Amino acid sequence: MLSLTLQALFSGVLAGGYYAMVAVGLALVFGTMRIINLAHGELVLLAAYVAYAAESQYGLNPVMAIPFALVIVGASAALVYALLSRIDQDREINSLILTFGLGIILTNAVLMIWAADIHSTTAPWFQESVVVADTLFAMRSEVVFFVGGLVLMAGVHGWLNHSWQGRAVRALSSNRNAAKLMGVNPRRTEILSFLVAALLATFAGIAIYTGKTIFPSLGHVMTVKAFIITVLAGMGSIPGVLIGAVMIGCIESLTVTYVSASLQELAGMILFLVVLFVMPSGLFGGRKAIAR
Amino acid sequence: MKRFLVPAALAVAYVAVPLAFGGNPYVMGLIVAALTIGGIAVAWALLGNLGGMVSFGHAAFFGVGSYTSAVLSMKLGVPPLAGLLLGGLGAAIASIATMPALRLKGPYFALAILAYAHIFQILATEMTGVTGGAGGLLSIPRFPTLLGVDLGSKTGGYVIILTIVVLSAAAYAAIRRSAWGLALKAMHDTEIATRVIGVPSTHLKAAMLALSAFITGVVGAFNAHFINFLEPDYAFSGAWTVLPIAAAIFGGYRTVWGPVIGALTIYLLDQLVFKELMPHGHQFVLGMLLVGMILLSPGGLAPILGRRLEGGQRHAHA
Amino acid sequence: MLTLDGVQVSFGGVSALKGVSMTVSAGETVGLVGPNGAGKTTLFNVISGIVRPTAGDITFRGHSVLKAPEWKRARLGIGRSFQIARPLHHCTVRENLIVAQRFGAGRVDHERIDEILDLLKLGHKADRDAVSELALTEHKALEVGKALATNPHLLLLDEVLAGLETNGKRAFMEQLALVRDRFNLAMVVIEHDIPTISALCPRVVVLNFGEIIAEGNPGAVFRDPNVVRSYTGEAAA
Ligand SMILES: Nc1ncnc2c1ncn2[C@@H]1O[C@H](COP(=O)(O)OP(=O)(O)O)[C@@H](O)[C@H]1O
Ligand SMILES: [Mg+2]
Repeated sequence: MLSLTLQALFSGVLAGGYYAMVAVGLALVFGTMRIINLAHGELVLLAAYVAYAAESQYGLNPVMAIPFALVIVGASAALVYALLSRIDQDREINSLILTFGLGIILTNAVLMIWAADIHSTTAPWFQESVVVADTLFAMRSEVVFFVGGLVLMAGVHGWLNHSWQGRAVRALSSNRNAAKLMGVNPRRTEILSFLVAALLATFAGIAIYTGKTIFPSLGHVMTVKAFIITVLAGMGSIPGVLIGAVMIGCIESLTVTYVSASLQELAGMILFLVVLFVMPSGLFGGRKAIAR
Repeated sequence: MKRFLVPAALAVAYVAVPLAFGGNPYVMGLIVAALTIGGIAVAWALLGNLGGMVSFGHAAFFGVGSYTSAVLSMKLGVPPLAGLLLGGLGAAIASIATMPALRLKGPYFALAILAYAHIFQILATEMTGVTGGAGGLLSIPRFPTLLGVDLGSKTGGYVIILTIVVLSAAAYAAIRRSAWGLALKAMHDTEIATRVIGVPSTHLKAAMLALSAFITGVVGAFNAHFINFLEPDYAFSGAWTVLPIAAAIFGGYRTVWGPVIGALTIYLLDQLVFKELMPHGHQFVLGMLLVGMILLSPGGLAPILGRRLEGGQRHAHA
Repeated sequence: MLTLDGVQVSFGGVSALKGVSMTVSAGETVGLVGPNGAGKTTLFNVISGIVRPTAGDITFRGHSVLKAPEWKRARLGIGRSFQIARPLHHCTVRENLIVAQRFGAGRVDHERIDEILDLLKLGHKADRDAVSELALTEHKALEVGKALATNPHLLLLDEVLAGLETNGKRAFMEQLALVRDRFNLAMVVIEHDIPTISALCPRVVVLNFGEIIAEGNPGAVFRDPNVVRSYTGEAAA
């Protein structure tokens, strides 16, 4: 019983690692543009399918596919940005619908090209199980990408806090007008946030392809999950988002272990609604209020 | 010109369409399905335009409406026509559960409603005793024969859904013209200014949410008795959200008839053209239409057509 | 009619009102003056329900309205204008008044709307867009009109005369006096111009740093050294 719980928590933590990569990207873009990019999860999906295509057609190891995925996902993110920045009226409603539409386009493009089948890497190296602390099992991919993801997010965290550009992103997020007065170029900074989000999405996509299974509607699922996590954590900080992501990961895997796999999403959704209504600024009391 | 447009359109819809296509169940079925989407699109647009809320979860209200009516008619023998209203009522009651979301802004509201839709779908799948679970409900009672008209036929179904859509659009138009409509539209930009002159803004939004859910529920109930079959994945399918949004945006969600025109155009195009061209992922085109419309003409098709009709006169916002 | 009892407001630790008590009787016109940032607008926000006080009580026509939301207070008879005009979007001038009548007064009385439009000299703009097609004075008039259309007993006017040149100010002030007498209103008027306020209000209340520092008839109050100091102090800063 205890070992089952520990195992569930361990799996949940590992899943939280890539959930966090997706959620941080969503939050970064929200910070600079005040827009929820509903096509964000589809960027993750795209990266995963690029890896699938590279492996199934050219026999490329998924890790080797990362550069290609980066280019394609980065270009797609830039395109999303370019389209978004053309909206001039009713920005809130129109940006939601625009990115919603872009998500539909990407999902269906994937569906047209690769059909609705479920895929996963065929490289055995990723799928071999490893034992941690003598009792906890995981796939090698999960561990590798969890650690890799932490390193990457630590990098982004450092970049946000110490680099000039990262500070520009933070300045724009906390006070747009003041940032402009301080000489921050909003367009360049917004694009930058999109590209960093794309970088994180790419890694998350490869992580999912090697450690889980991919299918076309995954993008939508990832967007919703990332949004839920940012609501839990508040949009504020990367460590906060990471904790929120790990929490969702654990709740899901506990639900799967003890209740039913079909209820996996339900637990997260209910937690989301509860937090939204009870603590609108997130579990960690972020400054940015979500509600009126 | 404009004065005769609505009566003429109604005459065509009630008389000419059944005469022309009544003998062709395939075409009639398509038109009914398009109007089903149109009904939800009107409800979605009412919430978006008057309530200022984007919902990604109308599938929840559709599903609740269809199950309410289907279950009541199968278990308690409620006649399907009465079931329509009860389905609407069920959805409106379900919308009460979503009302805490009203204090959330833009994307938070949109995704909170989406979360509700997921929860409702999962609940419907799990409550096997009532809903038949994933196996679904078979042989849901069909509409009766009334005054010699077989409402259970394709043409009968057409008359019912047409009436639902027309009444919904008429209600929407009436609200839009009333002080309620004025207050609702003003609220998006100046909520405080409306509250200090006596407008209970949250109540008004709640009323719009309930009405939108009601209409969607009625449409869902209609669909259940029309196709006589339900399963959770179908009744709560995301398609009941995506298609109406595409229709409303394409036709113009700030107009009354735009969503209906959009639904007829989009659904028929989708089924007759895109689905033939690309059997997988034909919703791709819907996405393109959404994106294109938001970028090129955020007001949708109806305002453009409207301007033509009025000879280029100024077109009031919403 | 209106009684404030020890009303306090603070915004994140900064106290904007520090225990304000005052009363306004039926039919009375009170001037509310004080330097910028004194808390005048905040006081209106508290009375109309936009800001919740951290302490104190507000009674209107015999009942505490502390827990009533803005719209309920409007229905009870508290009407207000905003310092920066807030016309209803996507509405004509007349529609602004229709909404106010329907929700604030319970039913639409077109005669009263016409009368208000007439009194405020907005008749010729009645069917124009309220946001984009009005001049400054007309925006101010519409602010007053929206409040009047709710059939108020008390009218709170936040700098409706500010920004008008001397003649415009006098004309508008005369309209306000007419409106007050016609509808039998109590009014609280925020205004910086001393001659104007002295002409319109038999009694003034002076607010400084969230406290009432003087009140009484304008002649005496504006000679009060405390009041003079609060103004010159502001001028120096
Ligand atoms: N919503 C608010 N949030 C924070 N501070 C506020 C808010 N409204 C007013 N204040 C502060 O309260 C004080 C009084 O403001 P206000 O009532 O607008 O003054 P007045 O109308 O007399 O010029 C000022 O210091 C102002 O900055
Ligand atoms: Mg002020």
